[in-house]
Amino acid sequence: QCATKRKQKKTCAWEQPLLQAVLIADSFNRRFFPISKDQPRALLPLGNVAMIDYTLEFLTSTGVQETFVFCCWMSNKIKEHLLKSKWCRPTSPNTVHIITSDLYRSLGDVLRDVDAKALVRSDFVLVYGDVVSNIDISQALQEHRHRRKIEKNISVMTMIFKESSPGHKSRCEEDDIIVAMDSKSQRVLHYQKTQGLKRLHFPMNIFHSGSDEFEIRYDLLDCHISICSPQVAELFTDNFDYQTRNDFVRGILVNEEILGNQIHMHVTKDGYGARVSNLLMYDAVSSDLVRRWVYPLTPEANFTDQKGQSCTHSRHNVYRGSGVSLGHGSQMEENLLIGCDTSIGANCHISNSVIGYNCTIGDNVILDRAYIWNNVHIASNVVISQSVVCDKAEVKEGVKLNKQCVLAYNVVIGPNISLPEGTVVSMHHPEEEEEDDDEFLSDDGEVGQSQDKTKQKAFNPAEVGAEGRGYIWKASSLDDTEEEELSQCLWGLVLNPDPDSDSEASEPDGSSFSSDPCAAVFSCAVFQIEVLGTLQRGLEENIGCDNLVLEINSLKYAYNINMKEVLQILTRVVLDFPFQQQGPQLTTPQYAALLLPLLKKWAGVFKNYVKRAQDHMDCLSAFEEYFLEQESHWGAMFKILMTMYQLEIVEEEIILRWFSQGATTDKGRQLRNNQGVRMRRQGGGEGNTEGKGSYLKSFI
Amino acid sequence: MEFQAVLMAAGGGSRMTDLTYNTPKAMLPVGNKPLMWYPLNLLERVGFEEVIVITTKEVQKMMSADPKIKQDVKMKLEVVCIQEDGDMGTADALRHIQPKIKTDILVVSCDLITDAALHEVVDLFRAHNATLAMLMSKAHEFTETVPGQKGKKKTAEQRDFVGVDESGKRLLFMANEADLEEGLSIRKSILRKHPRVHIKTGLVDAHLYCLKKSVVDFLTDNKSISSIRGELVPYLVRKQFSKTINGQKTKDDVEDQNQKKSDSSTNLELHISSRDEPLLQLAQERSCWNDHRGDMSEAYHGGKLRCYVHIMDQGLCYRVNTLAAYIEANRLAPKLFEEPVVHPSAVTSERCQIGSDSIIGASCQVAEKTSIKRSTIGNSTTVKEKVKVTNSIIMHGVTIEEGCNIQGSVICSNAIIGRGADLKYCLVGNGQRIEPEAEKTNEVIVGTDQLMEI
Repeated sequence: QCATKRKQKKTCAWEQPLLQAVLIADSFNRRFFPISKDQPRALLPLGNVAMIDYTLEFLTSTGVQETFVFCCWMSNKIKEHLLKSKWCRPTSPNTVHIITSDLYRSLGDVLRDVDAKALVRSDFVLVYGDVVSNIDISQALQEHRHRRKIEKNISVMTMIFKESSPGHKSRCEEDDIIVAMDSKSQRVLHYQKTQGLKRLHFPMNIFHSGSDEFEIRYDLLDCHISICSPQVAELFTDNFDYQTRNDFVRGILVNEEILGNQIHMHVTKDGYGARVSNLLMYDAVSSDLVRRWVYPLTPEANFTDQKGQSCTHSRHNVYRGSGVSLGHGSQMEENLLIGCDTSIGANCHISNSVIGYNCTIGDNVILDRAYIWNNVHIASNVVISQSVVCDKAEVKEGVKLNKQCVLAYNVVIGPNISLPEGTVVSMHHPEEEEEDDDEFLSDDGEVGQSQDKTKQKAFNPAEVGAEGRGYIWKASSLDDTEEEELSQCLWGLVLNPDPDSDSEASEPDGSSFSSDPCAAVFSCAVFQIEVLGTLQRGLEENIGCDNLVLEINSLKYAYNINMKEVLQILTRVVLDFPFQQQGPQLTTPQYAALLLPLLKKWAGVFKNYVKRAQDHMDCLSAFEEYFLEQESHWGAMFKILMTMYQLEIVEEEIILRWFSQGATTDKGRQLRNNQGVRMRRQGGGEGNTEGKGSYLKSFI
Repeated sequence: MEFQAVLMAAGGGSRMTDLTYNTPKAMLPVGNKPLMWYPLNLLERVGFEEVIVITTKEVQKMMSADPKIKQDVKMKLEVVCIQEDGDMGTADALRHIQPKIKTDILVVSCDLITDAALHEVVDLFRAHNATLAMLMSKAHEFTETVPGQKGKKKTAEQRDFVGVDESGKRLLFMANEADLEEGLSIRKSILRKHPRVHIKTGLVDAHLYCLKKSVVDFLTDNKSISSIRGELVPYLVRKQFSKTINGQKTKDDVEDQNQKKSDSSTNLELHISSRDEPLLQLAQERSCWNDHRGDMSEAYHGGKLRCYVHIMDQGLCYRVNTLAAYIEANRLAPKLFEEPVVHPSAVTSERCQIGSDSIIGASCQVAEKTSIKRSTIGNSTTVKEKVKVTNSIIMHGVTIEEGCNIQGSVICSNAIIGRGADLKYCLVGNGQRIEPEAEKTNEVIVGTDQLMEI
């Protein structure tokens, strides 16, 4: 039957197969916690319209006729929303099927399910439920189909990118990518997230594809829209370890030679496409929307076709819904969207903001880059800048919300309190989440202000104000680089306002390609600092040797340090560690006492690096070098060497060889003598005939 | 005078020793003209009146004897001789003539045959106030069979990776595949400035460079650089993205050796910024022009050192540095310049066939019943009766006896080809004598002393 279908296709070339889409209405992460505790991310309002509506509108307008919406978290809410929307009306050109399961844990699970249920029959569009876009992908689709026709089943995916220079605010720092491509075939050769990298590394094999022209592109924004062939779902089934699209892309690129699959790309210049992956992106996309970059998806278009949601557009991009009242002396400055039936008091200054339906705003309120959702009450004399206030929240008089605050659903703040930058307040207790199963057991007996039985702990008036209701969630610290922290950080990383300053300053005289010795020396210095930091953290958090080795290795690659230097720097850092911790005034016995346990602890790290005879030698020479500088602590030297030997970090033979080796400087000779004399004095009687180690063991 | 032209003609032709054993590369005949005539002609065509020619004593002697250079070149040639075995690189040569350099320079190699519009390169240099502008071209495939080469030559040669920006003009990096074994690594800050990097392979460097005078001054300060292509150009390209202000800051904690290096580099930078005349700078400040878009920073991101490259899409561009390139250049040279097929002083029999794609040099003697097609016959060569020459290069003073059949071969000067010999795809060395009735295919015939050299 399939074959006959294909024949039909051939005979009537103008008849394209039904275009299908897979829409994933779940992010499979907790970036929007605690907001998404009450409402799934896909339903959060952006410009007063649920995000999933933008995605569906994009799919429909690009010609998709059948969409499978996969939901997991709060799937019934999404289902309810969709059933009410225009997509489920009989006139909709895009048939929407809703598939829910609590078992989906990742994009991979969804696509495996797509494969299992054999939902897709031909090329399909894969998109997340939080993508806002107006890109016309028909050209990309055509290219994709053409490629697949010419070379059967080689190209499995076409990724859609938007051209956007580095530093553009709609570029998400976390999602920053670098792509190497073949200029002629538009083939993706290398795809990498660049977050936290200073140097970008391209393996040589990507340049062996037979082409003579490549492009390295850092001016691309990943729209998270991809055209996939049905094979993609099969590949996900075959590789059960693929969880995200990133896994998939990397897997395909790395195994290109084995599987023979390729990924291509399509770059759009004038379209708009961005994924709301954190609140910073929410801010950026909202303001782009209000500034009409997503045309024709503009606020006044009311594309969701909901009654009573229309608004008018006037100059300076001010949109007003019906029934908006504005007090005397209030100014709607620019880039402003106000939903229906919202009333604003007198002498307010509102700019670059989105305000939802049925809100009341008092007098003398200043809003800038504020995102006020529906049914919010804001009293007088409130200042809000770059913050999100969710449904039914209440901001009492005299409250000031500094940048990047979030008031989740039903929270009450104030009066007369100023929330510091990055405060997140929610009615859910932060710990409740971890104790999901036994939240009722953890009642600590404290009398809550609220009668609500899920509230176990009192609201802290110092944090949320005297009449406030809500718990402070851990303030999202922006400099935290740890991944786990990041996943809870609502606001993403801020794009570096002056991107040059950091990279240039930290790698000053560096050549662009690592051949300048200056850069090498410099990166050694930075590497040393980093290793020190790693070890310090390792000590504090009790990180195992294996993980330390992993971190050091990744630093090694980041700073392009060779193995010998790693060893030298590592030795140096460890020897210097007590001084770094306790200051330079340590006496020699104190020093030794501090260092020896450290050596024991990190012996595994050393063993990983010290393998060949030459490594032992390098380790010893670093040791020598260090003590040449620390003349006053020569007393401890022997003990340390002894411990290093006992821990099998360095071998006896090598130590002996090192002794016998001629020193290069006078001081070095002195050092060796000092050692050698002690060796001879103490070990002379025994001789070294008693087998391995006897020579040294005699000093224990 | 905006530019001083410098012709590098001291190279020995180490990649085609069979040909250059007796004749220096600069004097190898291509279309019956010495190789160095082509770059000289290129310079003359764009209006240079003076050229500094860096060469060896031997070449100088030959130059003064060569009629082509004496008659055709109207420019004033200032010949500077360097020692032959001095192992001097091109940058060393520049350093050698530094006192003569008063302006920015245009450096050309003697083995360049091109119909490129030189102004394209110079315009880039001028428009961007560049430190370096150079010429590259798409590599040509050599189609002719090369004597003595067994089978198709594999493209195992290491490719050069050339990175240019979106406009295809700004040179962002250069590296050879051999140096990139561990992969290509680019600093993110460079990509922020130039987010779209085109990496091209399969380009030929024409070895034609416009350089600022300050670069030559820099060379005199920095003696470690000996070759332009090998060291100076990569250094300048790299230097585009480093900041010396920071360099000074870290100077304290880097070793002496590096200190010296950063010292000299600050030197270079200082010279270059002093060359940025105030008026020019003002123009740049006031201008709304920018070399990039996306961020709001100033043009060139404030970098003073800039390298540009002009990549020829079409047209001829050959570097005659291998035998294959030599043969190809000979095949194409007649098409470059319209000249009579047969030199007026040559004596040709009326009953011989000479194709219009051939060249017969001065004082040649071509006897009856010969056929010469797609070939070059050098000066004072004698071709006897019933000889067939196709697709070959015959240099000067060669004697070809009766009934020979020569196909696809290169015959060096003063060789004697015996009666009835049949040569196919052979290279006959200088002054060699081929036995009568010899039949050779795909061989390199050179003297034994020459073999010893290799």
